[in-house]
Amino acid sequence: MVKSMSDDYQPKIIALVCNWCTYTAADLAGTSRLCYPSNIRMIRMMCTGMIDPKYILKAFLDGADGVFIGGCHPGDCHYINGNLKFKKRMAGIEAIISQFGFEEDRLRLRWIGASEGPEFQHNMTDFIQTIQNMGPSPAKGLMVL
Amino acid sequence: MSVYAMVKDASPTVAVKAALTKLLSQNLVDAVLVAAKSPYSALPMPTLFAEASAMDGIDPLAPAAPFNAARQAATVSRQATGKRLALVLRPCEIRALIELVKLNQCTLENVVLIGIDCLGRMENEVFLRHASALGDVTSEFQKNTSLQDDITRTCQMCEQFEPAHADIAMSTLGMAENSVLFASGSETGEALLKELGLSPAENPAQRETVTKQLREKRAACKKEVFAETSEKINSIEKFEKMIGTCLNCYNCRQACPVCYCRECVFLTDVFAARPETLLRRAQKRGSVKLPTDTTMFHLTRLSHIAHSCVGCGQCSSVCPSNIPVADIFTTVAAQVQAAYDYVPGRDVQEPIPYLIFAEKQKSGEPK
Repeated sequence: MVKSMSDDYQPKIIALVCNWCTYTAADLAGTSRLCYPSNIRMIRMMCTGMIDPKYILKAFLDGADGVFIGGCHPGDCHYINGNLKFKKRMAGIEAIISQFGFEEDRLRLRWIGASEGPEFQHNMTDFIQTIQNMGPSPAKGLMVL
Repeated sequence: MSVYAMVKDASPTVAVKAALTKLLSQNLVDAVLVAAKSPYSALPMPTLFAEASAMDGIDPLAPAAPFNAARQAATVSRQATGKRLALVLRPCEIRALIELVKLNQCTLENVVLIGIDCLGRMENEVFLRHASALGDVTSEFQKNTSLQDDITRTCQMCEQFEPAHADIAMSTLGMAENSVLFASGSETGEALLKELGLSPAENPAQRETVTKQLREKRAACKKEVFAETSEKINSIEKFEKMIGTCLNCYNCRQACPVCYCRECVFLTDVFAARPETLLRRAQKRGSVKLPTDTTMFHLTRLSHIAHSCVGCGQCSSVCPSNIPVADIFTTVAAQVQAAYDYVPGRDVQEPIPYLIFAEKQKSGEPK
C-alpha cells in the first residue's frame, strides 16, 4: 500500500446510506448546521439490504478510498430485516476485498438512526480521518475500470 | 446404514454399466442421466437414457468432463415430473447440484443421486490425445498412475473426491482390480441395491489407507496453489497482471455450475461504459485499456458465488486466455467459506449463508 501523508491528500469516500435512517440523519445534521468534511459522496439507497457487493466493488475499483455504509439500528429496519441481511453479506465482502489488497478498514458499516444527526457527523469525521491516515486506495490511479 | 456390495467384472466401467442398465431394465428408475460417448466424439457428454438397450456408450468413469454436469442435471430435475430419475454425477457435480437445490433451481424429489469415486478429469485436448493413442482411456486411467498425473490442476488439489450425499456411491479407490464397491448412502439407495440383488460385502480395509494417502497428496497441492495464488493477487495491480488478457468472453461464467442467474448483470447496461465516459477517462489518464470491466467482472462474480464455489475447475478449463481462474476462485472462496463456516454441498438442509441472519442483534455498532 502506498502511504501518502501529505496534507493535500483528500480521500474520496462513497457512502451508501439508507433512505430511512442515515440519509435522514444526514438531513438532520445539515439542518442542525453540523459540519463535517466534504470528502463524502453520498448515495441514497432504499435499504442497506439492497446493497449488492458489486456497488462496493465498483466504488473501490473506480478509485474510492473508502466506502461507508449506514443503515438502521437492528429492529428499526423499514423492511424488517434488510440491515441484518446486509450485515451478513459484509463478512463475505470483507473476505474478498482483503484478498486483493484492500484493507478491511476501508469498508465500514455503522447503524445511524434518523434522529442521530450528531452521530452522523461524528461517524463521517472519524471515517474520513481513518482513511486520511491510511492514504490512497491501492486501486487509485490504476486503469481497472 | 450402509449396504455394501462388491462387484468384479471385466473392468470397473463394465460393472458400473451393468448396474445402471439393470436400474433401467428392471424399471427401478424411469431415466438415467450419465456421461456417455456420442457417435461424434470420444468426449463423454451427459446423456439422458430411458432405454437400457441404448446405454452401450456410457462412460461415467472417464477422466474427462467437458463441463460440470450439475447444470444439465438441474435442467432435467428443474421440476418434479412424477418420473424417477437417476443422476450419475461426479462428487463436484453433486456438490454443485446441492447448491442449485438450495437456490431453488431444481428439486431432488424422486431423484436418485449416484456418485462415483473421482480420480480427476483431464483437459479435453489431453483426454482426446490419450483417446486416439490408447482407445479405452477409462480402463487404462484406473490402473495407470502416470496417466492419473495428467489431470487438471484443480483436480490435483481436490480433496473431496469421494461421493458424499449420494444415494448410491460407486467406489473404485482401494478396490481389487476391476472391482467396484456399491454403497448406499440413504434408505432409497439401500432399497435399490437390494432390488439389484447385489450381495453384501465389507468395505475393504485398504480403501481408507488409499483415500487418506490421496487426500494428503491433494491437500499438499492445494496448500501450494493457495499460497502461490494468494501472493499473486494480494494487490489489485498484481491481480490486473494475472487477468490482463481477459477478453470478457464470460466463458467462466457459462461453465460455472453455481453461477445460475438467467440474466447476468454483465449482460445488461449496468456496467456498460458510455462512449463519453471512456473518452473522459482516456483524457484524464492518457489511455484506457479495453474492455474496461474485466476486473469488475471477476470480483463481482466472486462476491456473488464464492460461498458456493465447489472447486470444479471448469472456469480455468474454458478460459481462452489461459487465465488460472479456478486458482483465484478456489483461493478466495476458501476465505469466504471460512468466514461463514460454510461448505458448499455439505448438506442440502444447510441454507446459503446470505439467507440466514440473526433476527435478534444487539443494538449499537455492528462490528
